[in-house]
Amino acid sequence: MIVGARQGKLSGLRQLVAKAMARELTGFLVPGLDIAHAQGLDVEAAGVRLVASPRHASVLMVAGDISPALRNAAAIIYAQMARPRALLVLGAGGLSPLPSADVTSELSQPGLIDGIAQLRIAFAEGAFRPEVTDFDAPMLHVRVEYTCPMHPEVVQDEPGSCPKCGMTLEPREASANDVDSHPHETHDHHHESHDHQHEVHNHDHGSHSHHHEAHDHDDHESHSHQHEAEDHQAMDHSGMNHGDMDHGSMDHGDHGDHAFMSMIDVTKDLPRSSDGLPMDWIDVPFGPFFPGLPSGLLLTLTLDGDTVAGSSARTLTENVALPHHSALEPLSFVARLSNMEPLAPLAYRFLANQAMENAAGIEITTVTARGRVGALERERITSHLGWLALFGQQMGFGWLLRRAAALQLKFRHANEQAIMALKPDIESLIKRLRRTPLLKSRNAGIGRLVQDNALRGPVARAVGIDNDARSTDPVYTALGFKAISRDSGDSLARLQVRLDELRQSLALIDAAGTIELFEPANIGLATGAGEAFVETPRGAAHLRLTLEKGLVVTAQLETPSTHHLTLTDSLTKQQSLGDALLAVGSLDLSPWEIRQ
Amino acid sequence: MTTALILLLLAVGAYLVAVIEAWTVSGRWQLAAPITAGIALLGRESIVPRKLDRVFFEVAPVLLLISALLAATVLPLTPGLIITDLATGALFINAALVYVLVALLMAGWGPNGAYAMIGGWRFLGQLIAYAMLIVMPVTAVAMRAESLLTTQIVTSQADLWNILYQPLGFVLFFVAAMALAFLPPFDLTTATSELAGGVEAEYSGVRLAVFRLGRLVLVITLAATTVVFYLGGWQGPWLPPWAWSAIKILAVTALMLLAGRVLPRIREADLLNLCWKLGIPLALLNIFVVGLQVLVWP
Amino acid sequence: MAMISAQTFFISFFGLAAVWFGVVVFRTHSMMRSALALLFSQTAIGAMFIGMQAEFLGVLQIMMMATEMSIMAIFMVMFMMDPGGLGKMDMTHQKRLSVITGLVAFVAIVAVAVFTDWGPLAGSVPDSAQQTEDLGLELMGRSMLIFETAGLTLLTAMIAATAVAVEPIKRNRD
Repeated sequence: MIVGARQGKLSGLRQLVAKAMARELTGFLVPGLDIAHAQGLDVEAAGVRLVASPRHASVLMVAGDISPALRNAAAIIYAQMARPRALLVLGAGGLSPLPSADVTSELSQPGLIDGIAQLRIAFAEGAFRPEVTDFDAPMLHVRVEYTCPMHPEVVQDEPGSCPKCGMTLEPREASANDVDSHPHETHDHHHESHDHQHEVHNHDHGSHSHHHEAHDHDDHESHSHQHEAEDHQAMDHSGMNHGDMDHGSMDHGDHGDHAFMSMIDVTKDLPRSSDGLPMDWIDVPFGPFFPGLPSGLLLTLTLDGDTVAGSSARTLTENVALPHHSALEPLSFVARLSNMEPLAPLAYRFLANQAMENAAGIEITTVTARGRVGALERERITSHLGWLALFGQQMGFGWLLRRAAALQLKFRHANEQAIMALKPDIESLIKRLRRTPLLKSRNAGIGRLVQDNALRGPVARAVGIDNDARSTDPVYTALGFKAISRDSGDSLARLQVRLDELRQSLALIDAAGTIELFEPANIGLATGAGEAFVETPRGAAHLRLTLEKGLVVTAQLETPSTHHLTLTDSLTKQQSLGDALLAVGSLDLSPWEIRQ
Repeated sequence: MTTALILLLLAVGAYLVAVIEAWTVSGRWQLAAPITAGIALLGRESIVPRKLDRVFFEVAPVLLLISALLAATVLPLTPGLIITDLATGALFINAALVYVLVALLMAGWGPNGAYAMIGGWRFLGQLIAYAMLIVMPVTAVAMRAESLLTTQIVTSQADLWNILYQPLGFVLFFVAAMALAFLPPFDLTTATSELAGGVEAEYSGVRLAVFRLGRLVLVITLAATTVVFYLGGWQGPWLPPWAWSAIKILAVTALMLLAGRVLPRIREADLLNLCWKLGIPLALLNIFVVGLQVLVWP
Repeated sequence: MAMISAQTFFISFFGLAAVWFGVVVFRTHSMMRSALALLFSQTAIGAMFIGMQAEFLGVLQIMMMATEMSIMAIFMVMFMMDPGGLGKMDMTHQKRLSVITGLVAFVAIVAVAVFTDWGPLAGSVPDSAQQTEDLGLELMGRSMLIFETAGLTLLTAMIAATAVAVEPIKRNRD
């Protein structure tokens, strides 16, 4: 029995169709492939084919708990899926506003396989039902506002006349720009209902009533597509009358050329691109579940044809609350920090441990330190492989996506012997990647960054800044660590730095000889302040905290992705769409660790 | 009768293309997968976006299928099996295949969505790149055959297949054919990771099935065209003509589908650069060289 | 006799289709529909050529017009306002002048078609293969100078257009 069944009686031909659907499940993964791989899930091996567009998906698979903003986005995705559609939730409870899950299971590969098996049965039996219910959610509602065709800046919620020119206001659906001007927290409803248009730039003249405005594109974030009710089409024709303006009236009774306006006159107020052409700009969201981009990232690009004219990026994940003049048990503090970032949990766990040990003045043994180095380097390998898989998906490079994902799954919980056994696989991956034709031309010169001291991690090292928290760590220097850097600062350099780091991490694990996740030292009832730096796979993270009688009272965290997010604007300006997305992807952002 | 047989063979061919494509993606041979996937697809709702251009949205998948089928009508699978042996067959293939562009433009504009629209216009950009490369090698092929009749083109390769006689033309035509069928690495128009499916993204249900079928028929038609122009059609020792046709067409299809797995998607700017700065001079060189060859070796 | 009426039927059908699509070009508000209607109008003309047994010309017309009209479509979308046509803007200007010009041109064309001496009626046409060969020989023989000149002129025009388009940016940099 599935909630999103299609209407109809399950008999005869429909039974055959239902059985076919049960065998060929297509899935849309939320939050995304990178999170799924980081949690150890191999969806293709479980028998579900992943698709990029919700329209083509029959199952919405949610891997783990997600923040409210992401849930709203997921509800919009669910509404876009064609019926019959099912919801599979792994490792989380109720995710309103999504409907209740058709199948729940635990967040692991066996759990996934079990869940898929249950789902197949549910499909075969419940794909068609005589009575079905609509899926409704607050963010799917269309908000109609009234605007003046001559003065688009005049916007009201009720019909009336324009205070500037007296024309009757025309109805229009709420547009993204208007909504984004409201503070997000208070207007959650409106904020998510910016479904309907991504066009904006309140242009004054007619060109805007062209189709761009009413886009109903299924960009994973916004849709209010109620497919059951195609009569919505009738409602919407009333909108979009921007074009219905002075041109028509100007040419009425035109007996000569004096009212003739050339295109240049008519378009003189439109924003112009750098080549001087006034074209329409559309706001297109990419994310939060966009294939190839880090999941949870909402990248809104203002596109001028195929070129990016502007961008804004933010994360839809939840900002983890750190104690601020409140007391928190050390173990729950460590857990909170490590659960924050599913892509690099160990790094943050060690960060928390080290900061607490510094604050409490505890020394850890060399064995423990080496064990931590081993574990951290293993996580670095896993994270870089995960990034390579995502990058491969973004470049449309199928082999890289599959190979890197397979290796990532193997490395996740491998011990030292297994890692050494996998070393030749990494070597062959790197060698084959270096030999791939078109890879260099795809990446060289894209996403060039300039030297900036706020850069961290591989992004910094690709520009020539030898910024690495491990260079000052005695344990690492004892193991013979040397920071790697290149200096072209483009996407290719970042790729090469990460590949070099893969090799380096393998060598470090070999030298350290042990991988252990030791329990944090017992800090007892210590009081004091401390800080720690840990080189997460994305860059140095910095944590400062104060302890009081064994409890964490204040903590401040700086993560690399927070600053890197601000780079998206300069990286994408005036780039073609493919290059812009690649540049953003090459930064290896983790929206989960972005502090807002 | 011939028409029915050829359509049946095209259907079988399209099915096999789907199987081969699934193999290149997942590494497994799933022979029943296209049937179940097709049935499953037909059972899903057909969603129609709001404020769409109805005519374009509906016509695009059908036009894609029709243009691929029309191109296949002039291809000979065995000496007698051809729907119409037009005197301008080689040119007609190109004429029919250019409507793939029109279909994709319609599919891009129709759904009233940003991803589809960008995907559609990107295909036009791709056409600017591959258009010359798909026509000029055909000129060289027709030069050798001294005719535009596809049957004549095949029989002219009796002593030496064109792939050996004019290898440069083969390479250019193969690349252009992949670009026309928007196969990876030229899948700018349905890029999964840049446009979330692009032109295909807004279709669901029956229309998606027709779109996908059209694409499969397009791939097999282009493979058949490559075989007719460069690989000697049905000619070969020991096996009957239909077997050779089938083997060659499937081999070319597999090659086209595999190439995309091992290469990243090409940049639009790079594609234009390569095709115009390198491709067209090479195509001209090819015509020149083949001209010399035709004059020197009768 | 039956063959001729089938031919006449198809030629008339495609002729009417071409005229109808041509009218759609101006009646529709959507730029894209306008461009594609012109495309299909040209395709219908190509089909007429095939109906008139000028096979090479027909196939060539069908092929070239599809590409050209599609490129025109993108230029229309780029430069024209309201490419989607939802605003129902009135795109006509100088109405009286254009109606007069149109009528005059129509009368002139019909007069040319009716009153010219087109020569004796051809009893039969050579088959398509022979036509293609004859066309090729003609191109390589008598008409070579014309086509070479046309080709060079087009190439010059393309290069000049590109040079003119690039220049303003260079000027701004100085």
